[in-house]
Amino acid sequence: MMLKRLLPPLVVVVLLGALFAFGLLRGAPDRDIESALLGRPAPAFELPLYERYQPDFGTVLTSADLQGKALVVNFWASWCLPCYQEAPVLQAYWQEYQDADVVFVGIQTQDRDRLNEGRAFLSQFGLSFPNGIDNDSSISVDWGLYGVPETFFVDRDGRVIHKHAGPVTAELMDAKLRELLN
Amino acid sequence: MRRFVPLLLLLLAGLALAQQVQLEARVFEIARQLRCPSCVSESVADSNSPISQQMRVLIQEQLEQGRSEEEIFAYFQGRYGDWIMLDPPKRGIHLVAWLLPVIVAVLALATVALLVRRWLANSRKPIEATPEELERVRRQLGAAGAQPDPAPGTDGDI
Repeated sequence: MMLKRLLPPLVVVVLLGALFAFGLLRGAPDRDIESALLGRPAPAFELPLYERYQPDFGTVLTSADLQGKALVVNFWASWCLPCYQEAPVLQAYWQEYQDADVVFVGIQTQDRDRLNEGRAFLSQFGLSFPNGIDNDSSISVDWGLYGVPETFFVDRDGRVIHKHAGPVTAELMDAKLRELLN
Repeated sequence: MRRFVPLLLLLLAGLALAQQVQLEARVFEIARQLRCPSCVSESVADSNSPISQQMRVLIQEQLEQGRSEEEIFAYFQGRYGDWIMLDPPKRGIHLVAWLLPVIVAVLALATVALLVRRWLANSRKPIEATPEELERVRRQLGAAGAQPDPAPGTDGDI
């Protein structure tokens, strides 16, 4: 009798507990949301470059300059620790792939007017692919950026095929570059 | 006539200021409905992150171009998907979020109404008891009257 009366509230409590545990364990759902850009043309951009890239790439890098090439577009900030983690990986893959039909583009964001910090970051890792600053975050909004680091993979037809939130890994770069260049 | 020039200028400046204030109020009204992409549970109006600041600039620019609220929302939804809206859109799976509270409220009210009806009906029902039961109650009431603090166990059988 007692058990029969307690059963319905008990079931409700267990179900709520399970829902709570699910909510706790599923991680940050906001960050796992797929980009709205997937499969769509990558947004156009005009990126003012840091001085060290200007001899090779000009003062401003535009998406029009890069037409027909696959792109790896990496958003970073000087205060972002995972960005320090992934920078050597990006540089290593750039060195390996720079003669292929792909261009890496680094975009410093959420870092308004911190040009010196940006320069220090670029020299620390000797990043040789073009990097510039999105000072007013306009490129970031166009690309639907949530946080840093985020990396977008754009195929040679100019379509976004993948977005990765968090530091890139060698496995990811291998897989996605293969996909981009095949 | 020349005396009125400063007055006129002041009036124009006042009008321009009022328009600016109105525009800013509209920017924040729209920004309040958008989610800050780089924050946790904060609106674009509440956040001072660079991306939110830029989103407010974009809202203002688009309002100045005469775009409607819906067009501005569509602009951000095109980049961030429905996630960018703090209120889930009223369509598809998102309808669950809108309808569920109403459904739960209706069910809860119906349950309470049903229970109240049942309680009222029960309270109006004449008491049916066999002569033995009546005798037992009478005995126990008598015992309770004589002995204000009944021993445990004697009151559990009714």
